[in-house]
Amino acid sequence: MRVERTDKDNVSVLVIMEKTLDASMSADFKAMLHGLVHDGKRGIVLDLAHVTFMDSSALGAMVSALKAMGSQGEIALCSVREPIANILALTRLDRVFKVLPDRDAACNELGVEL
Amino acid sequence: MNQYDTPEAIAARVRHHMLCTLGKSPDKLTENDLYLALSYTVRDRLAEGMVETAARYERTDAKRVYYLSMEFLIGRSLQKNLYVLGMYESCKKVAKSFGLSMEAVCDEEPDAALGNGGLGRLAACYLDSMATLALPGFGYGIHYDYGLFRQDIQNGYQVEKPDHWQSAAGTLHVERADQAMVIPLYGKIDHAEDRWGNYNPMWMDWNVVIGVPYDIPIPGYGGRSVNYLRLFTARPSTDFDIKIFNQGDYLRAVEQKISSEKISKILYPQDKLYSGKELRLTQEYFLTACALRDIMRGFLARHPGRGFAHFPDHAAIQLNDTHPALAVAELMRMLVDEHWVDWEAAWDITTKTISYTNHTLLPEALEKWPVDLMQNVLPRHMQIIFEINRRFLDSVAEIHPGDEGILSRTSLIEEGEEKQVRMANLAIVGSRRVNGVSKLHSELLKTRLVPDFARLWPEKFVNVTNGITPRRFLLTANPELCALARKAVGGGFISDMALLKKIEPMAEDPAFRDEYLAIRRRNKEKLSKVIFEATLITVDPDSLFDIQAKRIHEYKRQLLNALAVVAEYLAIVEDGQVPPAPRTCIFAGKAAPGYRTAKDIIKLIHCLADTINRDKRTKGALRVVFVPDFRVTLAERMVCATDVSEQISTAGYEASGTGNMKFALNGALTLGTLDGANIEIMQKVGKENVYIFGRTAEELALMEEKGGYHPIELYNQDAEVRRALDALRSDRFNPAEPGLLAWISHYLLSDHDKYFHLADFPDYREARFASLKDFTDKVTWAKKGIMNTARMGYFSSDRSILQYAERIWGATLVPPEG
Repeated sequence: MRVERTDKDNVSVLVIMEKTLDASMSADFKAMLHGLVHDGKRGIVLDLAHVTFMDSSALGAMVSALKAMGSQGEIALCSVREPIANILALTRLDRVFKVLPDRDAACNELGVEL
Repeated sequence: MNQYDTPEAIAARVRHHMLCTLGKSPDKLTENDLYLALSYTVRDRLAEGMVETAARYERTDAKRVYYLSMEFLIGRSLQKNLYVLGMYESCKKVAKSFGLSMEAVCDEEPDAALGNGGLGRLAACYLDSMATLALPGFGYGIHYDYGLFRQDIQNGYQVEKPDHWQSAAGTLHVERADQAMVIPLYGKIDHAEDRWGNYNPMWMDWNVVIGVPYDIPIPGYGGRSVNYLRLFTARPSTDFDIKIFNQGDYLRAVEQKISSEKISKILYPQDKLYSGKELRLTQEYFLTACALRDIMRGFLARHPGRGFAHFPDHAAIQLNDTHPALAVAELMRMLVDEHWVDWEAAWDITTKTISYTNHTLLPEALEKWPVDLMQNVLPRHMQIIFEINRRFLDSVAEIHPGDEGILSRTSLIEEGEEKQVRMANLAIVGSRRVNGVSKLHSELLKTRLVPDFARLWPEKFVNVTNGITPRRFLLTANPELCALARKAVGGGFISDMALLKKIEPMAEDPAFRDEYLAIRRRNKEKLSKVIFEATLITVDPDSLFDIQAKRIHEYKRQLLNALAVVAEYLAIVEDGQVPPAPRTCIFAGKAAPGYRTAKDIIKLIHCLADTINRDKRTKGALRVVFVPDFRVTLAERMVCATDVSEQISTAGYEASGTGNMKFALNGALTLGTLDGANIEIMQKVGKENVYIFGRTAEELALMEEKGGYHPIELYNQDAEVRRALDALRSDRFNPAEPGLLAWISHYLLSDHDKYFHLADFPDYREARFASLKDFTDKVTWAKKGIMNTARMGYFSSDRSILQYAERIWGATLVPPEG
C-alpha cells in the first residue's frame, strides 16, 4: 500500500495514499502500524484525506496497533471524510481514537509540530 | 386541461420518447411501445411535480411522515396515474390515432406485486392518500427483484412461478445512486473502553452491503402534489471482493457479490413462521437501516445544529406491522453510538418518533426471532434490545412489585429452550402510539392480545380503521360508475369520498338504477372474458356473481364457502330444487407455498368446479370457477363486477379486511360475519343492505368457555351438513383420485376446528339463499347496491390518513397555494 511518512520525535505521520482501505491491504496496513509500535513510536497520526472507503479489517488493524501501544501510546486521525467518519461513529471508534480536523491539529494533539 | 395534457402535446412527447428514449421510429408503434413512451411521458410530469412538492415541503418545514413497510402492493401504475392526472381521455385519443386500444396499451404493464395481500395494499393506498391530501408522507420499502410469485394452476393444484416484475416496469423508477448508503451486518462486539475509561462496545468485523434508493413517484389526485415511495436495492460494497478476485478465484468473488445482492432479491411469501430465516431477518434490518439513515440524513441537512431533542417535531415513523420493528433498536443505536446522545434522551426521542400498527390477533402469528440468530446478524442491536428490556422490566417491577407473571408476559425476550426476541413487545415498548385497524380489532388487541401493555399505557392504544383509495378502486377500477356518479352529483367524491352520500336519493330514480345495473352488467361481461381467457370456463353475466377473492387461509374460511357450494349442488341434483336465480361462485387467491391446507383448499375448489360445471343438471343454476393469479389488476376487474362479496372469516380473526370495502364501494352486497371492518361497514351502509350471519367473537369465546365446540353434534342434527360432508368423503368430486378429499370431514368434525366452520354453516346457508332471492328483484338489488356505494365514504383511506395525522403523527397538510 502507498503511504507518505514523516517522523518527528516519537511521532510518525502517515498520509495514506489509497482511496480504499479494505481486506486486500489490511494485512500490510497492520504490519506497518505494528512496525511503528515495535520501533518505539508513542504517537501515530493517520491522515485519511484520500480515503473514501474503509472496511472492518482496516479498522481492526488500527485497533490492534492501539492496543499494542498500551496506555502510553496514542493514534490520532485527521482529515477524515464523511463516509469514514460515519464508519468510525458506527463502530464507536471515534471514542477510542482522537479525530482531528487536519494534520497540524493532530500533531499538536500529540505534542509535536511538523 | 392544461396545454401539456392535450392529445397533440401528449402525442409530441410520445414521438420524442420513441425516438430519443426507445430509439425507434415513431411512425409505427406496438402496444408495448406506446405503453413505454406514455410511461416516460408521465414520469416526466411526475418528476417535475416531485421537485415542486419537495420545495413546498421544504419552505414550510412541515413534519414528515415515514411509512416503513416490507410490502407495497402497488399494482399497475400507468392507467391509475393517467386517471389521477386527468390525462386518460387524451391518451385514449392518442392511442386511437396510432390505431391502438388504450386498454390494450395499459395491459402491457406488469403488476408491481411487492406484497402478499391486505397489509401491502393498505400501504399503497395510504401513499396515494398522503399525496392527495398533500401530507409530507413517504413510503420506505425494499426494491425486490422478484415480487410475490405468479400463481399457475396445474391439474387443480397451485404451482408457483417467479415474478420478475422489473423487467418491464423500469419506467417507474428514478435511481438515486448518489444517495447510496453503507449498511453493516454480522460481526461481533469488542468489549473495550473509550479514551475516558468508560465501557465502549465496539461493533467490529462486520460485512458491508450498499443500499441504493429508487424512487417511485406517487401523485395525489390532480397531480398537484407528488410524494414518493423510496425502495432500496442491496448491492455489494464493491463489484467483487478484490482480495478474492486478486487471488484468481473469480467464481468465488462473483459468489460474494451474489450473496450481498440476495438481500433484495425476493419478497418472502406470507409465512407466519419467518423465525430462523436469516435472509428474512437481514431484509427487515436492511429496510430499517436504510430508511433510518435516510431519515436522519434529511433531518441533519434540513436542521443543522437544531439538536436531536427536536427530531420528533420533524419526523414521525410508522411501522406497518412488526416487520420493521428493529427501527426501535436502530434509532437508539444511531442516537447513542453515532451521535453521542445519552440513553435516556435517546429513548425519549425514539418513543416520541415511532408508532406501530398491529395487524393480527393470532398470538402465534406475532413475529419472534431467536436471540442466537440476532446476536449473529446484529450483535450491537441485540445488546441494545437487552438494555431496553432491562430498563423496561425494572419500571414494570416498580409498578407491580412481586408480579413475576407480568414480567414474563411483557418481557422483550421469551425465555425457553431457545430464547427469542418478541418483536411486537419491542414495537409496543418503543412506540408513541399503537393502533389496531378496525374498532373490533383495536378492542380485542387491548383486551385479548396484549392486555398487560394496555393497562400499563392505556393512552398509547388507539384505533384507526383501515381505508381504501377511491382513485384506484373506483376511478380506475370502475370508470363508468365513476362517470355516472360524477354526472349526478359532481366529481368532488374522488377526493372526498363522503360526498358519495349525495347519490343516495338516486336510488329512487329508475333511470339511475337502470344505468347503475347496466354498468354492473357490462363489468360482469368484461370479467367473464377475463375468466374465460384464464380458465376456459364460460360464465353467465346474468347470473349472480358471488366472489370470494383474498389470500387462501383457514380463518378466511374458503372451506365454508366450498361446503355451501356442495350443499347447493346436492340440493339441485338430488332434491331437484331450482334456485331462484343462477349463481356463479368465483374464487381467487394465492396460498403461501408452504401452507399445505390452503393449497388443499385450492385443489378442493377445482374438484368441485370440475364436477359441478360438467353436470348438465346444474346448467343455468350453478357454476364454480377459480380464477388464477389474484393480483391488484384482477381485483380491479372483480370489485366492479360483483353482486355478492364473501367476507366470511371466523369472528375475531380478521383484523379489518380491506377487500370488503373495495367490493362494497362498487355496490356489491357484503355477505359477512361480524368480524373486522364488516361491523363498521354494516353500521354505515345499514343492516338491510348487507347479509350478516354467524356467531360473534364474544359468542364463540363463550362457547369455548362453556364446554367447547362439538361439531359432530351439528353433523348428527343437520341433514344438509351430513349430506355435504358424506359427499365429500365419498370421492364423488374426485373419482380419479380416491381419498383426496377425505381430510375435509375429519377437519370439520374435529372439536379442534378453531375456525368453527360448522357452527356458522346453517346461518350462512340461509344468508346465501336470502341474497340469491333478493337478486331476482332488480329494483331492490339496485337500491341496495346504490346504498352501499353512497354510504361507503367513511372507508376512504383519506379519512384513515387524516386520523393517523391527528391521533398518531401530529402531522399537518401542506397544500399548494391557490
